Amino acid sequence: MTAPLEHVLALAVLLFAMGAFCALARRNLIMILLGVEIMLNACSIALVGASLKWQAMEGQAFTLFLMALTAAEASVGLALFVHARKRAGTLDSGGYSSMKG
Amino acid sequence: MKTLAFLILAAPLLGGLTLMVAGRNLPRRTCEAVACLAIWASFAAALSAWLSFPGGREVITLAPWFSAGPVTASLSVLVDPLALIMAVMVTFVSGIIHVHSVWYMRGEEGYVRFFCYMNLFVFSMLTIVLADNLLFLFLGWEGVGFCSFALIGHWYRESFRGLAGQKAFILTRIGDVAFVAAMALLVTNMGTLSISVIDERVITLSANGALVLGLLFLFAATGKSAQLPLLVWLPDAMAGPTPVSALIHAATMVTAGVYLLMRLFPLIAISPDAMLAVACVGGLTAFWGCLAALSQRDIKRILAWSTISQVGYMLLALGAGDVTGSMFHLLCHAFFKSLLFLAAGCVIQVLHEEQDVLHMGGFLRKARPEIFWLLLIGALDLASIPPTAGFFSKGRVLESVLAQPGQVYHALFLLAAAGAVITSFYTFRLVLLAFSGEPAKPFTHHPAVLPTGMARVLWPLAALALVAGAINLPPWVGGGWLERALASVPGVVPAHHVAHGSTAELVDLAAGLLGFGLAWLLYAPSRRPAPAALIAREDGPLSVFRGGLGLDALYRAVFARPYQALATVIWKGVDWGVVDGAAMGSGRVFAWASERVRPLSNGKLTLYLTMLVAGLAVLAAVLAGGK
Repeated sequence: MTAPLEHVLALAVLLFAMGAFCALARRNLIMILLGVEIMLNACSIALVGASLKWQAMEGQAFTLFLMALTAAEASVGLALFVHARKRAGTLDSGGYSSMKG
Repeated sequence: MKTLAFLILAAPLLGGLTLMVAGRNLPRRTCEAVACLAIWASFAAALSAWLSFPGGREVITLAPWFSAGPVTASLSVLVDPLALIMAVMVTFVSGIIHVHSVWYMRGEEGYVRFFCYMNLFVFSMLTIVLADNLLFLFLGWEGVGFCSFALIGHWYRESFRGLAGQKAFILTRIGDVAFVAAMALLVTNMGTLSISVIDERVITLSANGALVLGLLFLFAATGKSAQLPLLVWLPDAMAGPTPVSALIHAATMVTAGVYLLMRLFPLIAISPDAMLAVACVGGLTAFWGCLAALSQRDIKRILAWSTISQVGYMLLALGAGDVTGSMFHLLCHAFFKSLLFLAAGCVIQVLHEEQDVLHMGGFLRKARPEIFWLLLIGALDLASIPPTAGFFSKGRVLESVLAQPGQVYHALFLLAAAGAVITSFYTFRLVLLAFSGEPAKPFTHHPAVLPTGMARVLWPLAALALVAGAINLPPWVGGGWLERALASVPGVVPAHHVAHGSTAELVDLAAGLLGFGLAWLLYAPSRRPAPAALIAREDGPLSVFRGGLGLDALYRAVFARPYQALATVIWKGVDWGVVDGAAMGSGRVFAWASERVRPLSNGKLTLYLTMLVAGLAVLAAVLAGGK
């Protein structure tokens, strides 16, 4: 039995909102990155669901790219955090304000 | 003939170009030699062209130039006795001025520039003299304007000299506007700019067309020849080196206007009103110039005003329909005025740049008798004392005017005769003040030593100034050679219409002697008051004419001041206020707005992300709504 697309989309929206809330409300950089990952996963779910519904492979192919992207993002992001932590001594996003106008 | 015509033009051009390109890398002597040789080569070509000229007129196309619509312009020259005699005179006088300049400019720095422009000046003048196509002539016409600007402002480090150059350039350009307008009219009405063709087709012109063209060319000539109403640049042009003054006044620029009218004489002669206008401008300027010369203290300014006055006589003769008389006076004037200027240049250098005639005095005659004699010969010419050339040429002018019927011409004759008296008066005033009696300011230096050649090279000019009258003796003596030489030039009428015999010459003689007598009464060393009283007298009522009868001041008040005021309004009001204000204002608006926006970027990452998501949400909502 296949879940209807509406349910898949509802899950995706729920996940996306949670991820967005995590990315926006948390101040720890790792949690922000985590939130972004969850948002990307929500996108992947929506894409795969749509792909199944319309029997088109583009959505699934896109999801594969997204996986590669998130893996790269996580590795680069974590490396950046290590560096940032070394320089500023904190992972609190409020501690980085050198871009202030 | 083609080769010779080409050589006349090419030699000074080549000299000028050589100096322009290589002058800085050549030794000084070479530069001077190149400049002088160029002119004398041109003189040799002009002389042999004249001697070998069979007569009549010949149009020679040196090179094609361009053809656009109805206008065809080629670099063509029109060779006739008028042009050849003029070319010989121009190159001869310029040659002597060049040689004199070598000594005059001996201590100067910018000699390459000086000689380069002098050569180009002569080239431009020869273009005017020879050109058949008016557009080609106009090249020379603008060339003399530019070279005069460069040479009058030669010592540009003193700003008033540079300004005098600019003034000459701008005022003569006002006249040039009329020249261009006349050319446009000629193209539309006659379809040609060739002087020889114009002469043939001139009868097809309507009376009004001829009058308009005549007046436009007259206005162009008043600019170059410093006649009323455009004469105010010439006295200021004295700021240039003295040989430049001699060149401008005697051989090139100032005579160019008169020469242009002679060249286009058939065009002007078919409109009696245009002729009358030429005569009136000439007569009034002649009188105006000698009045202004009356009370000048600067030796060069006296000569400058006298040039304006004498060129007025040339125009007067032309307006009376006498090309020969005009040319005769032009030639004689070229000799004696260049002589006067170059001698005055010697005087100025001997006295260490003293130009005020009241500060000269009798010791100059004892210290430098040669200069005295040279200047005296020039003065006798200017004052028309027989048997100098000036006597015959001015007599011829008076004769022509007297021969014309009509009350206007008779009034002009009286004006010219009165002008002759005044001319003689101020000339002898100059001689008596500069060479006799006590100077008004004791001269403390020793007179400077001049190179001997500097004055000696002037003797040929002096000789010509004495005997050149022989080229055109009045009919009652036996008629003239110039008369016959110019007989083939269109529009030239033989002088046998003159029925007054020797009346004009008698008036001329009387005017010269009367002027001398008056000058002797006022300025003879024994009759002159003490120096202090003399200065008081000269700066008193007599000095009313010193400003050129207020014409310069009038132009300043009527044209220069309002223009300046308008320029200030546009500069400060429009440019600073509106244009700069708008630019600065918009800049300030953005600066103000950016101040308001700046606090938004507080460096907080979460806020940026929130904004990003909010923006995306809005975008998504818009896109979804658009579906």
